[in-house]
Amino acid sequence: MRNSITRFSPRHIDWLLILPILLLITAGLLSVYSATHNADLYIRFQKQVFWTVLGLLVLILVQFAPSRFFHYVAYPAYAGSVLLLVLVLLFGKTVAGNSGWFGIGGYGIQPAEFAKVATILALARFLADSTTSLHSFKDLAMAIGIVGLPWLLILLQPDFGTGLVYWAIFLMMIFWAGAEMVLLLTLLSPVLVAVLSIIGLWYFLVTALLVSILFYLMKRNLGVALLFLALNFSIGFGVQYTYAHLPEYQRSRVAVFFDPTEAPLGAGWNVIQSKVAIGSGGLTGRGYMQGSQTQLRFVPEQWTDFIFCVPAEEFGFLGALMIITLFTFLLLRGLRLARILEFRFSSLVAIGITAMLLFHIYVNIGMTLGIIPVIGLPLPFMSYGGSFFLTSMIAAGILLHAWMNRDTIA
Amino acid sequence: MERSSFASRKRAYILTSVIVALIGILVVRLYQLQFLEFSSFRSQAESNSIRRLSKEPLRGLIFDKNGNLIVDNNPSYTLTVTPFEFAWESLPILKRLFDVDTNVVRYRISQAGKNTFQPVKISRDLSFIQLSLLEEYRTMLPGVDYTIESRRIYNLKANLSHLLGYTKEISPWLLNNLGDYYQPGDMVGFNGIEAYYEEELRGNKGYSYLSVDSRGRVIESFGHGRSDIPARQGKDLVLTIDMDLQQHGERLLRGKRGAIVAIDPRNGEVLAFVSAPDYDLRDFSGRISLDVWNALRENPHSPMFNRCSMATYPPGSTFKMLVAIAALQEGIIDTDTRIACPGSYLLAGQEFGCHGAHGDINVVKALEHSCNVFFYKLIFKLGFTNLQKYGRIFHFGVPTGMDISNESSGIIPSEEYYDKRYGTRWNIGYLVNLGIGQGEINATPLQMAAFTASLANGGTYYRPHAVREMLDRVTGDVHAVEKGARALPLSKNALEVIQRGMYRAVHGSGTGSAARVAGVRIAGKTGTAQNPPNPDHAWFVGYAPVDDPRIALAVIVEQGGFGGVVAAPIAGSMMRRYLLGPGIPHTPEGSQNDVEQVSPVLPEPSTVSED
Repeated sequence: MRNSITRFSPRHIDWLLILPILLLITAGLLSVYSATHNADLYIRFQKQVFWTVLGLLVLILVQFAPSRFFHYVAYPAYAGSVLLLVLVLLFGKTVAGNSGWFGIGGYGIQPAEFAKVATILALARFLADSTTSLHSFKDLAMAIGIVGLPWLLILLQPDFGTGLVYWAIFLMMIFWAGAEMVLLLTLLSPVLVAVLSIIGLWYFLVTALLVSILFYLMKRNLGVALLFLALNFSIGFGVQYTYAHLPEYQRSRVAVFFDPTEAPLGAGWNVIQSKVAIGSGGLTGRGYMQGSQTQLRFVPEQWTDFIFCVPAEEFGFLGALMIITLFTFLLLRGLRLARILEFRFSSLVAIGITAMLLFHIYVNIGMTLGIIPVIGLPLPFMSYGGSFFLTSMIAAGILLHAWMNRDTIA
Repeated sequence: MERSSFASRKRAYILTSVIVALIGILVVRLYQLQFLEFSSFRSQAESNSIRRLSKEPLRGLIFDKNGNLIVDNNPSYTLTVTPFEFAWESLPILKRLFDVDTNVVRYRISQAGKNTFQPVKISRDLSFIQLSLLEEYRTMLPGVDYTIESRRIYNLKANLSHLLGYTKEISPWLLNNLGDYYQPGDMVGFNGIEAYYEEELRGNKGYSYLSVDSRGRVIESFGHGRSDIPARQGKDLVLTIDMDLQQHGERLLRGKRGAIVAIDPRNGEVLAFVSAPDYDLRDFSGRISLDVWNALRENPHSPMFNRCSMATYPPGSTFKMLVAIAALQEGIIDTDTRIACPGSYLLAGQEFGCHGAHGDINVVKALEHSCNVFFYKLIFKLGFTNLQKYGRIFHFGVPTGMDISNESSGIIPSEEYYDKRYGTRWNIGYLVNLGIGQGEINATPLQMAAFTASLANGGTYYRPHAVREMLDRVTGDVHAVEKGARALPLSKNALEVIQRGMYRAVHGSGTGSAARVAGVRIAGKTGTAQNPPNPDHAWFVGYAPVDDPRIALAVIVEQGGFGGVVAAPIAGSMMRRYLLGPGIPHTPEGSQNDVEQVSPVLPEPSTVSED
């Protein structure tokens, strides 16, 4: 067995993972610069450079952590994250209707982002345990609880979008851990019901009923079937109630998804302007720092959630396709790592991280393209902002770490 | 491990497929936006981010011949609405405060299209009371504002309305046809030199480009104002019109329908341009009241109709100079050629009359006495081809090219013209009438005046023009208007014969004696154009003084009767006024009251055509 720390060689670095990440970071910096180089926003670019440097340091630090380090810290990190989520609810400051921020100097930190990785680690640790069985109702409820606790705390901030990521991670991880299709369908049904309940009462009632009947026919477990029926009904009505009492900006974001032209100056404005920016890019784009939508700040929050518009407008279809290709490489590499890594914990972490990245990438780009509602999720490695950037770097570092130690831990 | 289906190959394939499928959807969507809908988004992007505000230029001023300012600008307050900010709920308030037509507001806003930041003009000539109301109710009227425009004010002793034209809000038709420069609500020149010199007078709008953010707030001047275009004021025009003569002409035609066009034969400058009845341009300053407009449109005497250059009349006997000079130049006749006038002319069993039996006369005598039979016979010798040829060199049947927006061509019929109009159902008798300027021959008073001027100056055709020069106040350049001088292929001899005939028509025993002015030698020719079933049109064309002509003119009084009685004194008065100045009242010396008698000829179509 080699000593991987003292005798480091380039072979220890997963170049197929790190190269797309470095290219995406570069593209992100160029995009943030283009979107913010006008005088009063320039500070954002400077901050992003700071985050990049910090992120790279964290990445290296994480990669060279002791071999079983993350296995050991999974539960403490999870506990610490939950504590921070509670603290931020009590003492955090509010930015744009979201109270999930800690202010440190001029920088804001969102514990909800770091909690994603901690939750992945904890869930992976739990699912990797040889005593855990997804056929056991108790274990399944435990797994749901691991994700549900931080999710509830985040929902209270309130941050609906970030909360959704947790369930995407959860579903993909238990799928990877061997959960049955009918179980997944049943577990997925609350999400389906939640969406359908916004559209109409009958849609969600019928769906909830059908899912429970299917579950009963497959599993012959009337108790769980009825439990899910009750859960789905309460979620359906709960969402309807919550939707009616949602903060105005969030409700309008949901409503606007169904018709962005409805409120061209409200929440729909973002989507319209984002589509105009991307559509006007054409094949080759308008040239770097030449996009009128970007340069004249027609796309609000462009440096954060709508950063994808910048390369799409200024470098056109070719630029956008390049970015998407890099992300696809990254995701497929994550999946590949989950296959390669024999250590069950590492494999599940790789899937969890891939799920997190996939959800962020898809929702973010889909939102700028107008096919997903605007639920402010940043684009990994590219969006301006420290917390999620650092979270992504830590996640990437964990994958690099797992790759480097793939032979030492099994 | 595989049995528990953990991390199975199958599940990896499923996840790979899901990722690829999801990414595929993004790429398809990207293709849709960036290829299929590209042009729509590109144009949206271009109209989106840069807010263009136009700045109105000052319209050029107009001076008379002596440098007196006759058309000036005054500030006028125009109500505007910025569609981007406008709240439709405030429409009733807008209507109540400013009495605007809500349909106009809707139409203008819909016309604004994508450029919703550009204020659209809603209503002109706000009063000071309305201005203060706007200030008072401003908070209830988002996007409503006013802009200062210039409106025409007139400092005129004469009306001069048909020459000057007026400015008016651009019509939808013009908006579609004048190109991109104009926007709904813009003022544009209509008729006269306001229309002809529209591009020079209007100047060029300035534009300031402002960068706006997502909420339409102005961030800064786009590119620090480097792209801004300052408004460029229009060029000033100096007219050739002699205001005193113009005023005199308008006075002479008061209560009549008709026209006077006076031209300086030395250079083609239009000295007077009188069309009666006319209208008061001051009614057209700023917003034209609908009542005034309708009254003008519905007036049976058509005061809006420019009789100087738009109306075409059969020239009658004033056309005989053309037949004569064509025949002389072609060598068909000379001064020794005598043609017998027994008092009438018989053609194919039809009798064409003359006003007296003039006996054997030459061309000078024929002009002096306006002998019809002489010209009935002469026109057969001349033929269609020569009539066309000489008609064309004097700009009959084609516009003179005067710097006025609307000008009719008139008609000099050719054989083809008759073929086209009547097929085979016309005969040579139609030609007879052309010899005396009757039948389907039509000319504008302007064409007659320009024709007379080129006879007077010895054979140079100047393009008639009412603007002498244009002043560019930005550069200080003075640009003289092209005179368009053209030497006509006519011999001195032929011209002198015509001039002699015209002189004798006034000072001999001819028909034009009523035009005589004490101390001035005048040449001229009367005309009495048939206009059945209505009374005849009275014509006079002439110039003075004969030795050194400084004024040539054409006078027509619609349904006035005999040219020698009605038109000749008016022409005489005009020439006296111009050459001798005001003060001496005009009394024609030795009026003979001899009148032209024109026998009934072939029936003819309507003689005043407003083509």
